[in-house]
Amino acid sequence: MTKLTVLIFAVMAAVFLGVVAYDLARAKKTHTQFHIKHCAVGFLMIGPAVVLSFVFIMLPILFSLGYAFTDYQLLTPDKVKFIGFDNIADIFKEIFSGGELLTAIKNTAIFVVCVVPLQIIMALGLALFCSRKVRGAAIFKVCFFAPVVISLTVTSYLWLTILDPAETGLFNSLLGAFGIPPQDFLRDPDTAMLWIVLLSAWQGCGYQMLIFLSGLTNIRSDLYEAARLDGANAWKRFVNITVPGLKSSVLYITITVFIGACRIMVQPMLMTGYQEHTVTLSYFMYKQGYDFGFVGKSSAVALLMTIFIGLITFIQKKVLSEK
Amino acid sequence: MNKILKIIGAVACVAVVASGIPAWVSGAEDGESSGGNTVVSVMFHVSTSSKEGQAYKKRIDAFNEHYKEQKIKAQATYIPRTSGSSANETALTAMKSEGTLPDIITFDSPKCSYYASKDILYNITNMVSDIKDEFIASSINYYEDKIYGLPVQESSAGFYYNKNLFRQAGISDKEISEYGDETPWTYTEFLSVCERLSSVCSTSAVDMRFKATTDETAPYLLYPFVYASGGEFCSKDGNTVTGFFDSDETASAFGFFKTLLDKKYSSYTVDANDFYNGKVGMFLSSGWTIPDLRNKNYTAFPGGEGWGLLPYPYEAEGKAASATGSWSFGITDNHHKDKTAARMLLRWLVTDESSQVITEHTGMISAKKAVNEGRYADGSPEAMLLKQLATTGKSRPAMVGYAVLSTTFNQVINDLEKSSDIKSFLTEKARTMQATIKDY
Repeated sequence: MTKLTVLIFAVMAAVFLGVVAYDLARAKKTHTQFHIKHCAVGFLMIGPAVVLSFVFIMLPILFSLGYAFTDYQLLTPDKVKFIGFDNIADIFKEIFSGGELLTAIKNTAIFVVCVVPLQIIMALGLALFCSRKVRGAAIFKVCFFAPVVISLTVTSYLWLTILDPAETGLFNSLLGAFGIPPQDFLRDPDTAMLWIVLLSAWQGCGYQMLIFLSGLTNIRSDLYEAARLDGANAWKRFVNITVPGLKSSVLYITITVFIGACRIMVQPMLMTGYQEHTVTLSYFMYKQGYDFGFVGKSSAVALLMTIFIGLITFIQKKVLSEK
Repeated sequence: MNKILKIIGAVACVAVVASGIPAWVSGAEDGESSGGNTVVSVMFHVSTSSKEGQAYKKRIDAFNEHYKEQKIKAQATYIPRTSGSSANETALTAMKSEGTLPDIITFDSPKCSYYASKDILYNITNMVSDIKDEFIASSINYYEDKIYGLPVQESSAGFYYNKNLFRQAGISDKEISEYGDETPWTYTEFLSVCERLSSVCSTSAVDMRFKATTDETAPYLLYPFVYASGGEFCSKDGNTVTGFFDSDETASAFGFFKTLLDKKYSSYTVDANDFYNGKVGMFLSSGWTIPDLRNKNYTAFPGGEGWGLLPYPYEAEGKAASATGSWSFGITDNHHKDKTAARMLLRWLVTDESSQVITEHTGMISAKKAVNEGRYADGSPEAMLLKQLATTGKSRPAMVGYAVLSTTFNQVINDLEKSSDIKSFLTEKARTMQATIKDY
């Protein structure tokens, strides 16, 4: 495998150096000495980023793509055999036989469908609140953004404490004050995913809030003034000025939140373990690849998932982007 | 332009040379000798800040001192395990891929079959045949009747009970002593105790650890009930689960758990601290709880007093079984063909002296019979566990696909409460499991 890595690295390095040489040669023909230097410095500066993204992004993607067509088992990297599309065929068989993979797809779909709109609405609401010229708005911004900088592991454990099924659990203590018996929120198939959706939306919306805030500052204030003079109420101003003004932000946020949501794994892993009602596609992949050692199958799922996400993202971009 | 191209060329050369340095460096370490010493490497699953890690460090230092003249040197790395797919196992996997496995590793006993089948562990049958009888028999790690691991220490589990709550529930000391006597107690007796405890416990009569389904805790603590009910997890070769995991006997064990839930003797909502706070009468836990109860001044057990330990119960028509199996030492099937130094270090780590040092640090029971002789007073919790190990200890199933079984076991426990037909539920799970383990 190391030889293959070196080979891929050599090919990538050759491609990169080829691009650099071609660009410099072209610059020499058409530009001044200043432009040539400018161009070379540019390439030197992106060099480290290119190497890092190759090692940590491109290489794993390429390997994963290759593994999808092999019977690679985690602890036998020296006995990998090419098996063509067998893994893909097995995956579809498992989906159509109603196996665990189908459950994982369903759970992921439920999560995505719930969390994407919820997180966008929450982020927009917070951004609109923070954009108002009120005292202490900066403090609110910090508070709303704080969950983003805390690791998902920490927030998951925090919510585990809040939702502890014991009657001494934080939320159950509150329910107990109203005479409601303790609830096992995360073991109940009807509520577990709902809580994971809420936690994820709460954890992530602070970041999208900042993007919306930046989008809001780009909307000219004279548009609001003109609308006000024309007698437009707050709702009409929001629908006719704010929403169109935020269209590009919404597009970016929808795509990034969608991709992030499709990859959900940490929250169910830490909060419920590998249970039928919360297993997601990424968790399924992780379990198959790391715990069970079926890297080939896990990579095949990853490949199909990547194709699916790419397709949906393309459709989203087509539908939401400005003509 | 030429100057710029030269700079780029120089940078490319530096990059190529730099990328080769790690391989060159690792190549230097790859040899069997360093500074004239034969180096034998070992990887432990705990950090040196833990008591167990300190014990290992002491024994490694002692080994190096002892074999100084013979120029054999042990080099230890400490990569602590965590829950889930641990840092320790991730490191092991990476080392296997890179071909840099240490000579000796520590591993959790149910992983033995998987590691042995994937050529991580080396067959040590001939290396230890003369000392294998020194260990508690159920602790030794076998795969296809060959030895692949020797235990670091022993681990068993039982039901810790609150003497005060037992007294309040009218359960006499005489009755308790009968449960831990020659034969363990039966399910009927266990249920009777739970019934009486229910009236005095503010949460549940017993914490069966049904909540601990995110890692190996629940499978480790609850698997003996399947054997105690006369059930099995898989065929003898570990390759078939259908017909075993969903047998009537296995279903009966899960049925016993469901009875405990239905009768509210146990629940999923018991807090992990409820036993320590005096809210639960019994607590199913491993031997690691003994030093905790003794040394930490818990509310319900001031001064480390007021608690006892009872063995696993069993189905009257079945055969008593109890949890066994902790971490083990194994020699790896790495690039070092000469295993002489590895053999010497392995045998050193399992000597009576090493075993004594390790168990003194951890407070656990030694896997060496000689170390345990006369060590624990009659009636002590350790003596009870030791007796239980000797008489009813039964290790977890030796399966290459143990990870699949463990995951499924957790799922079954988690969904038990809402399952109305346990047998069909287990059949469905066994079918899914079988489809997965066939790929190993």
